[in-house]
Amino acid sequence: MINLDHRYGPWSGRVWGLIVNLAANALALYGLAGYLRDGGRLLHLVIGLAVTVGCILLLARPSQ
Amino acid sequence: MSEREQVQEYPLAEAVPPERLQAETAELARLQQASVWTRAWGYLKLGGPGYLDAATTLGAGTLTAAMLSGAAFGYKTMWVLWVSMGLGMFMMAACARFTCRGGFRVIVEQNRYHGVIVGSLMTGLIGTAAVAVIFNYGQYSIGTHLIESLAPMLGFDFPRQINWVLFMAVTSYLTLSYGRGSRGITVVESFMKLAIATMLICFGICLALVGVDWVGLVRGIFVPWLPSGVEGVDLFVASSAAAIGVMDWILFQYAGLARGWGRKHETLARFDIVFGLFLPFVLVNYLVIAVFAGTLHKVGLSPETAPELARALAPLLGPTWSQALFYVAFLAVPVTTTVGMSIAAAIAIHEALGWKPDTRSLRWKVSALLPQVGFLAVWYPRPIWLVVAIAAFLSLSNNIVGWSFYLLLNDRRVLGEDRSKSYVWNLGTMLLLTLLNCVAIIYVFNRLGWWVR
Repeated sequence: MINLDHRYGPWSGRVWGLIVNLAANALALYGLAGYLRDGGRLLHLVIGLAVTVGCILLLARPSQ
Repeated sequence: MSEREQVQEYPLAEAVPPERLQAETAELARLQQASVWTRAWGYLKLGGPGYLDAATTLGAGTLTAAMLSGAAFGYKTMWVLWVSMGLGMFMMAACARFTCRGGFRVIVEQNRYHGVIVGSLMTGLIGTAAVAVIFNYGQYSIGTHLIESLAPMLGFDFPRQINWVLFMAVTSYLTLSYGRGSRGITVVESFMKLAIATMLICFGICLALVGVDWVGLVRGIFVPWLPSGVEGVDLFVASSAAAIGVMDWILFQYAGLARGWGRKHETLARFDIVFGLFLPFVLVNYLVIAVFAGTLHKVGLSPETAPELARALAPLLGPTWSQALFYVAFLAVPVTTTVGMSIAAAIAIHEALGWKPDTRSLRWKVSALLPQVGFLAVWYPRPIWLVVAIAAFLSLSNNIVGWSFYLLLNDRRVLGEDRSKSYVWNLGTMLLLTLLNCVAIIYVFNRLGWWVR
């Protein structure tokens, strides 16, 4: 299991998680914009949402 | 003196006499043993920073959004308020933890662990001080319009080109009272409580006159509804982001420090967040939405600016005294927001630049009165280039400041054993951060032309 408080390169796992969450949020909104416009980019929306939910659930874990 | 002890000292708290702080701590211990009602009443009397935050957050922009929402959509979007403010409570609880258990000044800790760009610049100078200066144009604009409209009901004319002096005098006096002498903080916090009570009573009477569609109201509060398509996404994200932001976090954290709050105050601080901030914010917004849902929405009127909305509403309220009540309640909004934002600006500027806050110093007075430049709104609109620049920076930095607070809350080096150990607390904070991320991303997408128009 990922240790959120361990450093991986320049930042802790928690910071990397926040960055991945931001990227996933952007992907989901990019997909949502396409879906609302012409029904396209559904895959972007689904992947973005799934990673967002995963990041939120993971980052909610308190430090040990 | 250790580094930790140095951080724990907040100069504004020195004005609070030690014997009063001891008496307050003893009262808190007594309330712990008291019945629920006695405890609640005791906490309501002892609270303060929460009311200060509510009165600051309930500004011209928030009330205009509530009026527009009520006029355009009726009761249907009321649920957004408790959801967004509810999410904000998780971050406010983090601020209470920083104050009561950490005992540190959050911008100082941000500078230490996350750098001065995140601490002093994004949180202090841009997220709080610059926002206070720019947003105060809106408070002056509405405040002086309301005084101008109210005066004829009292039998005289008082144009905004003159009445801004009164607005400036009252708000400057209250702002500079904060932290002055042993009772300065209590005086300002009591004024905020009184102003919120005025809003609740006066808007409540207006609603009683207009009447309520109870079924529509209950549905609006509990059944999620949004306009279809991108308009709904924009409305939800914008309303949520407007509910609570960096300035609210900073003001609550430092106002608690200024009251000398410590470990024994955390329960009081959490009570203050719910009953001083959450409930007044949501209730005042509900009252305003319901008044406009019962009037302008019914007749299909939907003006776009706050003065136009108020003018359109006035004849629908009936007798002159009820119109005056509406204007009085509405006037309390920009007055309290100007005072709260000015205090927040002074605190933030001093923290960001490493100055010792001394309310008697010229430096404090200048910092606190900086937002009063908003009086120019009587003649000129806000400088658009500056608004665009601040809005851009704010949209892109709010979430980064939120990340910083979340990391501090979970950092053993900062809070030790008092760090968050609750999955639910972190979950709520992460949901709020995701919402703030979405605000930043939609801002960028809009600029790139990727968002739906």
